[in-house]
Amino acid sequence: MLAVLSVEARKLNRSLAALLAVAAPSLIAVFGFFMLLRSTRAQPWDMWMTNAAGVWAFFMMPMSVTALTALVAHMEHGPKSWDHLRALPLPRWKLYAAKAICVLALLALMSAAVLAFSWAAVSLAGSIKPAVAATGPFDLAQYARVMAMMFGAGLLMVAIQLWIALRYASFVPGLVVGIGGTFFAVVATAAKQGVFLPWQMPVNMLATEAWRVNTALGLGGGLGLVALILMTVHLARREVL
Amino acid sequence: MNAAIETHALTRRFKRHLAVDAVSMTVPDKAVYGFLGRNGAGKTTTLKMLLGLIAPTSGAARVAGVDVARDRLAAARRVGALLEAHGFYVNLSGRENLDLTRTLLGLPKTEIDRVLDVVEMREHAGKPVSDFSLGMRQRLGLARAMLGAPPVLILDEPTNGLDPDGIADMRRFLRALPERTGATVLLSSHLLGEIEQTATHVGILSEGRLVLEGELERLKAELAPEIAFQTDDLPRAAALAKARGFDLTLGEGGAVARLKPGEDARSASAALNRALVEADLAVFAIGPRARSLEGIYRDVSSPASNLQPETV
Repeated sequence: MLAVLSVEARKLNRSLAALLAVAAPSLIAVFGFFMLLRSTRAQPWDMWMTNAAGVWAFFMMPMSVTALTALVAHMEHGPKSWDHLRALPLPRWKLYAAKAICVLALLALMSAAVLAFSWAAVSLAGSIKPAVAATGPFDLAQYARVMAMMFGAGLLMVAIQLWIALRYASFVPGLVVGIGGTFFAVVATAAKQGVFLPWQMPVNMLATEAWRVNTALGLGGGLGLVALILMTVHLARREVL
Repeated sequence: MNAAIETHALTRRFKRHLAVDAVSMTVPDKAVYGFLGRNGAGKTTTLKMLLGLIAPTSGAARVAGVDVARDRLAAARRVGALLEAHGFYVNLSGRENLDLTRTLLGLPKTEIDRVLDVVEMREHAGKPVSDFSLGMRQRLGLARAMLGAPPVLILDEPTNGLDPDGIADMRRFLRALPERTGATVLLSSHLLGEIEQTATHVGILSEGRLVLEGELERLKAELAPEIAFQTDDLPRAAALAKARGFDLTLGEGGAVARLKPGEDARSASAALNRALVEADLAVFAIGPRARSLEGIYRDVSSPASNLQPETV
């Protein structure tokens, strides 16, 4: 399995998926940088980091997962390399499990990058305009915990998007589901039922009601793991014609 | 004769379409086996079943002695494949692409240089695959198929899309493969010339059925050979030959009489010569000749043909 994982990681060299993994967190940091420069009074670190986490979970994470899964799957669909890979003397489930682990690892790195880049952007903007520099403590453990919970709650969304992206060679089904899911997550933010929508589960980690956090985390994480296992079994057994 | 690949009544149906119909083929060890058929004849479907990519509806396939359906992994360890779609990652170099497959196969790093040397690509392998010509990609694909020195190589349409220089290059590699690698080569193509110039054995697939199989030279020599002749009055000579039951084709300056399968070419040639001379025709040249693969192919792959699989 380590060999398959190492191959998946090396395929990312100079790839669009790797570029996206850097670009998406950077955009949030750039947004935070200009927000701070435009502000007229100093705000605590908590506000800036919660803001970054909110943008990530509410919009950037669902869109990034949509694009990331499509790009990672397209690395095989594009050059039609499934036949080559599936003809190798390897259990096929390993190919799909490695893809899933690769996407999850990239998403974890992106989550960490949101924290790191946002800290850097807010610090830089604060040094340019000291009057509005972030105040109070920088509680890294708390911010990391929230990002980790968002990652866990996003597992079901990742599983759905990756399953579609690997199943269909065309970008279209994955993009339609991802954009549609994000759209409904945004417009149904206030709705109680929204917590059951996979694309809205990560942002529920910022909710003040405990039931929302627990429901989204439990369903997103638990069903996400089950869906990833089902995806691996289904794709490994399926004939690619 | 040891068989590197054997299928028994291999069949694959896609809903109502019978793509491969009870194909029983034998690829002898160390042969270059040309798998010939029109586009859509079922060649790629057969190759996919040999590689374990799709399951047969019925029948069985053995590669290097291993039943593909029973032990796909063991069979896959004995096969290298160059498929129609190359499946290269264009963001990586040729060498990096080979290294991915080498890692998956658990082979030493030295394997990469070995296979690059076989296809004479060592100096170009550091370039990104996006900069490769189609011919270079085909050679790289061939190199990748040879990683781990598998005893069987399956190559699906290896000259597809190549320019004339690329085709000549690829044919040179294909002819040299058994000697350079010791592998048995199964080569699918819809190009008669390609098979005629590279293969030692041939199997012809038509509408999913294997209609002919055998050693190419013996097929050409023994399967319904022809008598080519030239006379001073070709129309009269042709009429005479037709009257004696020959299937005749007239060409510029001569005629070709096709014999029935199994008919002795030399005695038929002598008999025809005698008849022409007795009819007071001046015979400039006459003699049996081996038929071209094209002639054989046209006979057996015609949809109207009722020929059964035949082994020579």
